Formats: sequence, C-alpha cells, structure tokens
Amino acid sequence: MKSKRQIQKENTKIKIFETAYKIYSEYGFTATTAMIAKEAGVSHGTIFVHFSSVNELLTCLIESFGADLALEIHDLTEKNDSIKKLLETHLNILSKHENFYIHLISEKSLLPEDVRMTLVNIQFNFAFHFNRIIEGEIQNHTVKSIPVYMVFNTWIGLIHYYLLNKDLFSPDEPLLKRYSLELIATLLELIKK
Amino acid sequence: MKTCIACGMPMKEASDFASEDTSKDYCVHCARPDGSMQSFEERKANMINFIIKTQGFDEKVATKIAESNMKKLPAWKAYFNKQSANMSR
Repeated sequence: MKSKRQIQKENTKIKIFETAYKIYSEYGFTATTAMIAKEAGVSHGTIFVHFSSVNELLTCLIESFGADLALEIHDLTEKNDSIKKLLETHLNILSKHENFYIHLISEKSLLPEDVRMTLVNIQFNFAFHFNRIIEGEIQNHTVKSIPVYMVFNTWIGLIHYYLLNKDLFSPDEPLLKRYSLELIATLLELIKK
Repeated sequence: MKTCIACGMPMKEASDFASEDTSKDYCVHCARPDGSMQSFEERKANMINFIIKTQGFDEKVATKIAESNMKKLPAWKAYFNKQSANMSR
C-alpha cells in the first residue's frame, strides 16, 4: 500500500501536470514554469522534483495528448472503420485539446528538437492508421486512387489552416465545434469516388 | 495489453501478433514472411519508406524520424547504446 506521503507526492505531480497543460493552452509555450508553479500553488523548485527539466514536462504533456489520440484511433482501425469515422475521431480528440494543439502547431519552432520529435511521432502514428483505412477504401473503390501522403497532407493542411487562423474563422467559440462537419464533408467530397 | 517491442503498436487481437502467436512480443507488421522479427536495418528501411509513402517527407527527414522513433523501442535500444558507446571511443 502507498504511504500518505507517496500519495501526496503523486497528487502534486498530477496537479503540476494539469496546471501546466492549462497554462500552456492559455498562454502558449512562452509561459514560464514560475507561472505554472504560482497557479498550481507549489514552489518553483517543486516542479523540478517531479520533472527533471522543462523539456521533460513538455514531452509528458504532448505524449499524454498523443496517447489519447492513439488509443481511440487504434480501436477504430481494428474495426476497419470508414475514413469518415476516422476523421470524426481525429477532430473529436483535437477538439478536446484545441487550444493546446493550436499552440503546438503555431509555436512548433520555439520547442526544442526532442520535444518537436514527440509531436512528429504522434503525427506518424496517426498517419499509420490513416494509411490503413485509406488503402482499404481505395481497394474497395470507395476512395479515388490518390497517393496516401497527398490525401493525408490535404487533410492536415486543411485543418491546420483553420486552426492557425482561428482568430479569423471562429474568434469567440471553439473552432472545431463550429467547422468539423464542414471540414470532414469537404475532404470526403474531394476524395470519394 | 502488450505493445510491439519493435514498433510500439498496441497488440490486442491475435491478428495483431506475428504469425497470430500471442506469446510473441512483436507485431504482424514487424515480422518477416517466415514469422521471425525483422532486423534493425530492415525495420529502419521499412519505416523510412512508410513515412515517405504516408506523409511525403524528404528522405533525410524520414530517416531522422525513423531513428528517433526506434530509439524509444525496447527491441532497438541496445543497438543505439552500442552505437553511442562506439562513437565515444
């Protein structure tokens, strides 16, 4: 059984993790660990008791988002679901992390290389499942025979353009909630036979 | 739930495992046609080709991504440790 002290330690780590997620989602990656400590109600040094560096904290946050996406997408691919369902699930997960994700893609160049690589790996994982489903649909003649990377990049390009310009498309409300259906319908219209 | 030691894919169903053998630690995608696990070089080449095919990246970038991905996986960790040990000599 865990001691009271161990439980307390774990709770502090969770608190730092959740606060960091909130702060980065709101202010982006220029936010400081001092801001996170203040909001979490812990001393600055406490953050580094639980995370050896800012990089480790960032990597943990991005990996947690990636794990969320990976789990849902994997289940879906196993069921050999449609591309429509895959796109819906993708946007559903991104929608849950919308502000965090917008900062991730717009401030990518500010992140250290190893942290950026974590993001690349998440995209790689999504591309793996995207490929399986698209290939299945091309074989079934339900999707046009377009190179998988072009279909993938058209999709990512489309949603990133909207997300990066949220101030123009949806300044006052979550963007994906407003545009998901239209974005999905448009991609399907372009690729379906 | 097991995850593939060579690519990290979660393996739930028997069809996820190499030769549908659930005692195996690697998945169907990381197996050779005879069921044995692909070598480091085979796996790396497959991964590079896969990245180019699915995301259209430049080959140099795809190589870097494949290596960074493999570094985190139990099947290849020793390979990278050996490489860095050789480099520091």
